[in-house]
Amino acid sequence: MEHRPRILVVDDEPQLTRVLRTGLSSHGYEVRIAADGIAALETFGDWHPDLVVTDLAMPEMDGLELCRRLREISSVPILVLSARGEEKTKVAALDLGADDYVTKPFGIEELLARVRVGLRRARTDAATERLETVVEAGALRADLESRTVTVREREVRLTPKEFDLLIHFMRHAGKVLTHRSLLAAVWGGDYVEQNEYLRVFVGQLRKKIETDPAAPRFIVTEPWVGYRFNAEEG
Amino acid sequence: MAKAVVWKQVLGYIVAVIVIAAATAVLQVFGGHINPTTVALAFLLIVLFVAAAWGSKPAVLAALAGGISFNIFFLPPVGTLHISEPEDWIAFLSFLVTGITAGQLSARARRRAEEANSARRETENLYRELQDTFEQASQAKAIKQSERLKSALLDAVTHDLRTPLTSIKASVTTLLDDRRARLSAEETTHLDEAERTEMLEVIDEESDRLDRFISGMMELARIDAGEMQLRRDWGSIEEIVTEALARAQPLTKNHAVEVKIESDLPSVRVDGRAVSEVVYSLVDNAAKYSPSGTRICISAQRSGDEVIQMSVEDQGKGIGVELRDRVFDKFFRATRDGDVSTGRVSGNGMGLAIAKGIVEAHDGTIGIESGTGGNGTRVIFTLPIGDDDAVPVLKTA
Repeated sequence: MEHRPRILVVDDEPQLTRVLRTGLSSHGYEVRIAADGIAALETFGDWHPDLVVTDLAMPEMDGLELCRRLREISSVPILVLSARGEEKTKVAALDLGADDYVTKPFGIEELLARVRVGLRRARTDAATERLETVVEAGALRADLESRTVTVREREVRLTPKEFDLLIHFMRHAGKVLTHRSLLAAVWGGDYVEQNEYLRVFVGQLRKKIETDPAAPRFIVTEPWVGYRFNAEEG
Repeated sequence: MAKAVVWKQVLGYIVAVIVIAAATAVLQVFGGHINPTTVALAFLLIVLFVAAAWGSKPAVLAALAGGISFNIFFLPPVGTLHISEPEDWIAFLSFLVTGITAGQLSARARRRAEEANSARRETENLYRELQDTFEQASQAKAIKQSERLKSALLDAVTHDLRTPLTSIKASVTTLLDDRRARLSAEETTHLDEAERTEMLEVIDEESDRLDRFISGMMELARIDAGEMQLRRDWGSIEEIVTEALARAQPLTKNHAVEVKIESDLPSVRVDGRAVSEVVYSLVDNAAKYSPSGTRICISAQRSGDEVIQMSVEDQGKGIGVELRDRVFDKFFRATRDGDVSTGRVSGNGMGLAIAKGIVEAHDGTIGIESGTGGNGTRVIFTLPIGDDDAVPVLKTA
């Protein structure tokens, strides 16, 4: 039998977990529930899920701590459920390694779509690690050895920093990247407050790779949080 | 302002001349019997008085006028400005110098006093201004605090409204998604009958939860506005407890419930429905915040002649001393806001606030202590037995 993707749902709200279990199972996912971070870590160790969906506010161990602990042991995609008004916590979760978020109240289709993106990203990551000389994401192709980039087979000239930034985006396609995490990854830890660097470089990258830089489809802004790279161009 | 000052000075000059003239007239009555020293001292006194009241210049005029009068009327030869004896010259000059100097000194003292006065007034003004500023600052602080409280309340309310709403929305969209898949004959797994029913049950239960939350809010608003209407009637504590436990049965099925009611308790004149709500709320909390299989004990006994004391005790984690007052605050939840956690669902943070409102409306008190042997939580409340004369409708603040 084909392997059904495993999803671990972590939330202390039993009514919501009832719904998520049913909604996700009906789409072919295998689902397990944990009521808090501690239970989630236990299940994670025994069961090795392919993706984790977690609430932020929970007793015992909250979603933030769970993200941190999971990142110490795994690169499993983490999808955070957050409420409007929890922006700070949401960004903190993303900084700690969460991949994406869904704002409550949400429709099941949105959650399913995010789950699919997360699972696909995990597969792409695994594939990228195997052949490290070329990174591809949709119509973009970057050669790491010659440091050249082509968009729809047309070569574009990038500065070294632009190239590094784009590679970082492409390697994390579909994932929400916070300003801090981008700055830390491309410029280094001393630059995490320099949002203006990021704005300038993202603007330049968009001019070079987007068909319409004013309505970007590859590098999409996530308001107040950061950016998300879409391999499929929107 | 300046005009008033000039007028005051002119008045000073006039008074100086008039008083010296009057004094001369009075002293003249004594004729030649009067000693020139007495006259000089009397004039000196007038100079000092003028200096104190009008300042140095009128005082100099008084001294000069006094000198002339002294010379003409009291120093021989009387009636002329001429002074014959050298000792009279000395007396005259001494008087003039003393008069002018005393006038100056007195005027200076007056000025000093005025300066001191104005300095004092200035200090007072400054103090008042400071006080105003402090008051404004503390008002601003109070407003800020109340704003913070409001926003915390709003957060809590938003959370309590959104949580059930999230489950409802997720259920409904799951059902819609399933329906769409069926209609388009997609090859995904469809929900089976039991799953569809479960989704509908979640919607039903969560709608009830929203409704309970809204009712609780209304009840709290009524208590806050002092509009809680008590329908007091004679009844037995046992009936009240039995009614509450029957209602709480679905919540306590995993706990061992024990009831200890003193055998000869008198009837109480209370609003039975409201007190039963208090017991229900406390039992609900006890069940929520203590592990399955543990004991919940409800007790009632007399405490003095006029008061019944009731308590609900659980074997949960207990509530820290520092949180024991705060748990009665609206929307406060120890599981979320404090450090107590059970890994279970928390309530809506209104139960204890409403219970407190009801108990206090009955002139009772409510509080929290540790359970037997220092473990768990015991909520204790008192109810006066009441009498027929009690006002039938009681208003609370």
